Amino acid sequence: MRLCTICRLPVRRALTQARYLSTETPPPAEILAKPTWSVRSLLSSPSNDTAKDEKITPKQLHHLLKLSALPLPKTPEEEHSMIATLQSQLHFVRAVQRVDTKGVEPLHAIRDETDQGTQEETITLDKMKGLLEEEVQVGYYKRPKRVKAKVESEAEDWDALATASRKKGRFFVVQGKGKKAGEAA
Amino acid sequence: MKRIATAELGRYLLQGRLSTRGCLKTSQRAVCRQSSLQTSLACASRSLQTASTSQHAGPPIAPLRKQWRDEAKQAKKQGKGKAKKDSQTVDGWELTVGIEIHAQLNTSKKLFSPAVTSFNDDPNSHVALFDVAMPGSQPLFQNEVLIPALRAALALNCDIQKTSRFDRKHYFWWDQPSGYQITQYYESFAKNGQITLLARDGIAPQDGDSVTIGIQKVQLEQDTAKTLAQSDDTQLLDFNRVGVPLIEIITEPQMHYPRTAAVLVRKIQMLLNTVDACVSGMETGGLRADVNVSVRRTGDPNTPLGARTEIKNLSTIKAVEDAIIAERDRQIRELEAGGTIAGETRGWAVGSTETRRLRGKEGEVDYRYMPDPDLAPVVIGEDLVQHLRQTLAVSPDMELDKLIAEFGLTAKDAVSLLNLDNGARVQYFYRVLDGLETMLQANAGGDDMPALKSYAGLVGNWTIHELGRLTTSKAGPFSQVELDFTPEGECAQVPDAELSQLLYQLYTKRITGKVAKELLMGLYLGDLDTGILETIESRDLWFKELSTEEYNLQIDAVLEGEERVLHELVTAGEVPQGKVMFLIGKMMRSGPTERIDPATAEQLLRTRVSELRAGA
Repeated sequence: MRLCTICRLPVRRALTQARYLSTETPPPAEILAKPTWSVRSLLSSPSNDTAKDEKITPKQLHHLLKLSALPLPKTPEEEHSMIATLQSQLHFVRAVQRVDTKGVEPLHAIRDETDQGTQEETITLDKMKGLLEEEVQVGYYKRPKRVKAKVESEAEDWDALATASRKKGRFFVVQGKGKKAGEAA
Repeated sequence: MKRIATAELGRYLLQGRLSTRGCLKTSQRAVCRQSSLQTSLACASRSLQTASTSQHAGPPIAPLRKQWRDEAKQAKKQGKGKAKKDSQTVDGWELTVGIEIHAQLNTSKKLFSPAVTSFNDDPNSHVALFDVAMPGSQPLFQNEVLIPALRAALALNCDIQKTSRFDRKHYFWWDQPSGYQITQYYESFAKNGQITLLARDGIAPQDGDSVTIGIQKVQLEQDTAKTLAQSDDTQLLDFNRVGVPLIEIITEPQMHYPRTAAVLVRKIQMLLNTVDACVSGMETGGLRADVNVSVRRTGDPNTPLGARTEIKNLSTIKAVEDAIIAERDRQIRELEAGGTIAGETRGWAVGSTETRRLRGKEGEVDYRYMPDPDLAPVVIGEDLVQHLRQTLAVSPDMELDKLIAEFGLTAKDAVSLLNLDNGARVQYFYRVLDGLETMLQANAGGDDMPALKSYAGLVGNWTIHELGRLTTSKAGPFSQVELDFTPEGECAQVPDAELSQLLYQLYTKRITGKVAKELLMGLYLGDLDTGILETIESRDLWFKELSTEEYNLQIDAVLEGEERVLHELVTAGEVPQGKVMFLIGKMMRSGPTERIDPATAEQLLRTRVSELRAGA
């Protein structure tokens, strides 16, 4: 069937484009046959092993385990396997670190950070008015002071000591390890 | 002890000459000297008797006593000055101190759970699920915490950040159930403040009139559990305190003297108490200070600061100063011996002379700070900040300035007034002053009121010193009663209305000072059945002053027989004050004491003297 000149124009355009593309690029199957990237590049292997100075030493491993309050490895094989696992994990982390994140704020959590969301979160004078009105003015200069009244709280309505394995009266008991200096806040 | 001859004693005391002969020889001579001793004694007594009547040489004892007193005063002045210089500075070394203060906020609920804050309640009775890190529990930020926190930051002149975030500080200890403390390491809610310390606060004299210390930041954080160590190597834990809101105030390292650092802690404590942000002090454990100390040689101001050590567990103001001095001396000793200072954490026990190592650099904990993903950022509304800024309590500095400038108290008196009875005594002072003012106003009627400074000073003196004297006086076994003041300034033992009445009578010279003091003692001990006014009336304690003619009669009586004194008063170039006071004293002793006002008597006596001088 013969097309009118008006309809023929777009058809001709499409055909020429197809002919143009088909001469430059290979068919899809060919493109997909050769992978350019593999997840395996994120795993460490003997080929892309880290340099000697980047290796994790047993001392570092022990330090990290102490910081996390985890038990130290019992056998050299266990230690070796721990270091190997840690090494491969670090390889993955370094790959992620190579991504260019210039100008991107680090994400702490997924939250509503729209203006309206932030406005709802804002602690305004209205929200605090009730508490401020409960205060009294004391002395010659009428300084505001909070009134210490007895408050009941539902959050305390459970037996905290019920789960304790060791207790003494109303106290929890913890076994000390000799005279160890405490870490203050 | 063998009696020493008066002449020899006199020679030693007055001229400093000791007998050069040995004691054996002296004892031999003592026997034959007995008779001469008696005659010399009689001579001495006669000379003493004539001394009081003849004013020539005067009794040998008076100028000697004066000499001793002057020497003692001089020695004391020199001795004291020396000690201060020794402890505040060390030649050739410059000290740098930075302080971190942790203070419990005055709230009813905890920081991330609605459990109630408490002090000395039954152990483990105010514990929420999140406080003991029960798996699955979530933090819930309590807005109430912002009121005292913002007040503290505003009192320290900080910039309030609209948005602030929470971070986790990881370390393992039995008083931290979750294994991390929630704090504000990266983005605190307030920063870049400052506090000014003045000379009247007691800073080191080397700091001059005032010094301003910068506040790097103020951040919110959680408190830990209370631990009670037992003798059998176990610890008892009370989780009531876990999660109680604290603020951590971190100063810039701009302090250079131990005294100034201690004064900073004390002033911040008072400031936080005044704005109702932190009301439990160091004694109750509500405020703790950690001090960072480093030294470097003086000279080039561009030399970097030395390695710093941190001193923890300081529980009193004095401990802050002592620990800094001890640590500075230890560091200087180390460096002068050629060693280096390791960046370690040290502890101080009250009464010790040196800090002791708690944790070295090898055991330095890596806190692995990370933002807390469970908590939303805190967004503070500008209207809330403005409201709190406008309604912020009047600062102690402003109150002190007013007490000194308007009421005429001395700086020392004003500072002690503010510090007595945890701020209640100054409220009492204002009440008494108000009462006195009302009475003076009623008395003046349409005339001018007397100057505020004249009667405010009187009230101040009595409120601070006379009341203080009551509890320390030896008025017998019944004087063990304390003085109780309510925060509003009411006193049960000495009601402010009664003291106003007493001071009114005293100020208007209707009773004498001596009578007033006795009345105060009676009032305090509860001996007065009726009020002050009724007591004065019933016992007729009014001051019936002598008339001018009667005064002149007294002056005549006193001047009789005092030719020597009179001669000196008339002929001397300037009228000697001492002689005038001597005559006044004689008048008080011989005449009707309770009817003489020393000021009036002095005035009339001086008039008489000037008349005589004009005549001569």
